[in-house]
Amino acid sequence: MERTDLHGLAGQGACAVRPAAIEFREVGLAYSGKPILADLSLAVGKGEIVCVIGPSGCGKTTALRVAGGLVRPGSGSVTVGGRPITGPRRDVAIVFQDYGKALLPWRTAAGNVSLALEAAGAPMRERKVRIHALLEKVGLHGHADKYPTEMSGGMQQRLQIARCLAQEPSVLLMDEPFGALDAMTRQTLQDEMLSIVAETGATVFFVTHDLEEAIYLGDRVIGLLPNPGRIGTIAEVGLPRPRNQLETREMPEFLRLRRALFDFIEKAEG
Amino acid sequence: MSRTAKALAIPAALLVAAEIAVRLSGTASLAVAPPSSVVVALLAALGDGTMLAATRDTLACAFGGLFLGGAIGLVLGLLFGLVRPLDRLMELTVEAIRPIPSVALIPIGMLSLGFGYGFEIAIVAFACVWTMLIMTRAAIAGIEPRLLEVSRALRLSTPQRIFKIVIPAALPRIIVAFRLAAGFALVVAVTVEIAANPQGMGYGILIAQQSLSPQLMLAYLLWIGLVGYGLNVLLSLAQKKLLGRAAMVEVRR
Amino acid sequence: MNARRALWLAGSFLVAAGFVWLWQWIADHRLISPVFLPGPDRAWAALVKGMTDGDLAEKLFATIRRMIYGWLLASLVGIALGAAIGTSKVLREYLAPMFEFLRPLPASSIIPVAIALLGLSEPMALVVIAFGSLWPVLLATIHGFSAVEPRLYEVGRALHLSRPAVILKIALPSASPDILAGMRLGLTVALILSVVCEMLAGRDGLGNWILLSARAFRAPDLYAGVILLGALGYVSSVAISAVEHRLLIWRDRAR
Repeated sequence: MERTDLHGLAGQGACAVRPAAIEFREVGLAYSGKPILADLSLAVGKGEIVCVIGPSGCGKTTALRVAGGLVRPGSGSVTVGGRPITGPRRDVAIVFQDYGKALLPWRTAAGNVSLALEAAGAPMRERKVRIHALLEKVGLHGHADKYPTEMSGGMQQRLQIARCLAQEPSVLLMDEPFGALDAMTRQTLQDEMLSIVAETGATVFFVTHDLEEAIYLGDRVIGLLPNPGRIGTIAEVGLPRPRNQLETREMPEFLRLRRALFDFIEKAEG
Repeated sequence: MSRTAKALAIPAALLVAAEIAVRLSGTASLAVAPPSSVVVALLAALGDGTMLAATRDTLACAFGGLFLGGAIGLVLGLLFGLVRPLDRLMELTVEAIRPIPSVALIPIGMLSLGFGYGFEIAIVAFACVWTMLIMTRAAIAGIEPRLLEVSRALRLSTPQRIFKIVIPAALPRIIVAFRLAAGFALVVAVTVEIAANPQGMGYGILIAQQSLSPQLMLAYLLWIGLVGYGLNVLLSLAQKKLLGRAAMVEVRR
Repeated sequence: MNARRALWLAGSFLVAAGFVWLWQWIADHRLISPVFLPGPDRAWAALVKGMTDGDLAEKLFATIRRMIYGWLLASLVGIALGAAIGTSKVLREYLAPMFEFLRPLPASSIIPVAIALLGLSEPMALVVIAFGSLWPVLLATIHGFSAVEPRLYEVGRALHLSRPAVILKIALPSASPDILAGMRLGLTVALILSVVCEMLAGRDGLGNWILLSARAFRAPDLYAGVILLGALGYVSSVAISAVEHRLLIWRDRAR
C-alpha cells in the first residue's frame, strides 16, 4: 500500500482520537477468481464523513456493500459500532444510487418511508407522526401522497434518504447517491445532507466518482487503486465547516486537494 | 447437472412413477394407461395414417381460419389505425362483438354451415380477427411520432407514408400479433372439434375416450401436445427470422 | 375534451345502431333464412322472455358460477405455485421447460381425459376450467416474481424485513401487474371452457342452452344465449379492468 499523506497529518493518528464507528480489517474479496478487494484496512471515526473515490473497477461500491452486510467478505471482517457485520443491520442504512429502482413504485412517498418503520415494528399510531417529520426533514412535506414516478430525481433521492433516516442509523452508507442528478440539484442535496448529518451525528461512508464532491463533503478522502482494490491514498480535508458551495470551493486548500486527487486518479487510471 | 438433464428430470420421474403405479395396480382402467402402452398406441396410430389424417384436417382448419381471420383483422386494424375517426365510430360495435366467446358461435355455425371445414374455419377466423385487429391498431398507434414528422418533413404522399413509413414501422408488432393468433388458431380448432365438429385431432381424442381406449386417448393428448409445441417452436423461429429481416429493412429505409 | 369524447361515443352508438338496423333489414327481407338468422327483434324478445319467465337467468347464473369457481381455484393455485417457482431458481430450472411444453397444449384437449376420469360431472367441469385457466395465471405469476427488481430485495435485506414481509410487501406488489394480466387471460379461458364443458357434458348452463336451441332450430333462443355470453364476456372484462385500475393506480400515475 502506497501512502501519500497529502495533508501532513497521519491518517491513522487522526482516527485514534475518536472511537471507530466502521472498521475494515484486512478485507479481501474475489468474484470467480478475480480479486476485487485485497487486504483493505480502514477505520472511520464516529461522526466522521469519509468519501471514497477511485477509478471504475477499484471496488469502492463493493467495499460499501461489504460494510452494509449485502456481500460477505472472502477474508477479513468489518465491524460497525464494535460488532462484526454478518448481514444487513438496522443501524446501518444504505442509500443506493439508483433511487428509481430502490423505491417501491406502488407505494406513495409516505408508504415508502413507512416500509422502514414497518420493518422496525413501529406501532401504527407512531408511524404517521414520524413519517411526517421525516418527510419534513428532507424537504418533502406536501408530497406525502405522491408516487415515486410522479417525483423528480432529486425528490426521489430525498425520499430514499428519508427512508434511511427512518431506520435511525448510526452509520449511513451512500453509494454515489447524487451521481444521476443534475448539477444544481446535486449541490442542494449535498448541503441538505451535510446539515442532516450534522444534526443526527451519523457516521457517513460516501462513495462517489466526483472528486470535488468528495472534498466538499468529506472529513477525509480515501483514494482506491484498482485490480485488486486497495487503498492508494488518504487525504485529510482541513476545510472549515459549515461548508459553502461558493467559498469552500474557492479556498486554496480545496484547490490543492483537488489537484492532488486529480493527479492520483489520472495515475491510477493510466 | 446440465440444463437438459434438469429439464427432463421431473417429466421422466413422473412417467416412470405413472408406469409403475398403473402396472402395480393391475386393474384395467378406462381413464389411465401405462406410458409405455401410450407410446405403442401413438406409434400404431401414426403408422396406420389415421392420426396423420386427423392432424392434417386440424392444421388445415387452423391455418385456413388463421389466414382468413388474420387478413380481415390486419386490414381492419390498418384501416382503424390509419383513419382515427373510423376507429372511434366503430368503437362500440367492436367492443360489442369482441367479447363473444368464439365457442359460443359453434351452434350458429352448426346451424348455418353444417359440419366440415368451412364451419371450423369460420370459428377459428372469428377468434383470430380480434387479436390481429387490436394489435395492428396498437402497432400503428405506437409508431414513434418522430418518424411521422420525418415523413411530413420529406413531403411524402399518403401512399408513400403508409408503405414506406407506417407499415414497416408497425411490422414487428404485427408479426408478434400473427404469432399469437396462430397459437389461438390451433387451440380453437381443437376445441371446435372436441365440442362439435366430427373431424381432426380433437374428434380423434373424443372418440378414443368414448370407445374406452385410454391408451389411444392419451396418445392423442400427447400428440396434440407435440403438435402444439412444434408449431410454437416453428413460429418463434419464423418470428425471429422475419423480425431480423424486418429490422434490417427498416434500417435500410 | 369530455364533450368531444361524448360526441364520438354518440357517433359510435349510432354506427352500432346502424348495424343492428342492417341486421333487422336483412332478416325482414329474408336475405338469409330466418332458420339461421332471426332478426334482432325476435332475438331480443326471446332474451326478455327467457330472462323473465323462462329459465335463461338460471342458466346464466350456472355458467357464471362455474366460470368464477374454476377461475378462483386456478388463480389461488396459480399464484401460490407461481410465487414458489418464481422466487426459486432451482424450481424454475426443473419445472420451466416442462411448462413450456404444456403451455401450447389446447386446454380443451384434456376434456376427454377428465370425462374418462370423473364422468360427465360437475367436478369434471371444474377441473377442466381450473386446469385451463391455471396456465395463464401460473406462467404470468412466475414471470412476475422472477422479474422483481433485485435492488428491491436488497432494500428488503437492508431494512431487515422478514421473509413473509419481503414476499407480501415487495415481491407480490411488484408482480401484481403480471398476475392481474394472467388472471384477465385466465378469466377469458374460464368462460370459454365453461361453455365447452356445458356443451359436451350437458351440464346446465348457457353453453348447453345454445347447443340445444340450435339442435331444436330455435334460432331466437340461440341468439339470445349468444348475446348473453357476449355480455358476460364484456362484463367480466370490464370488472377485471376496474380491479386492475384500482390496484395498479401507481402505474397509471407515472409522469
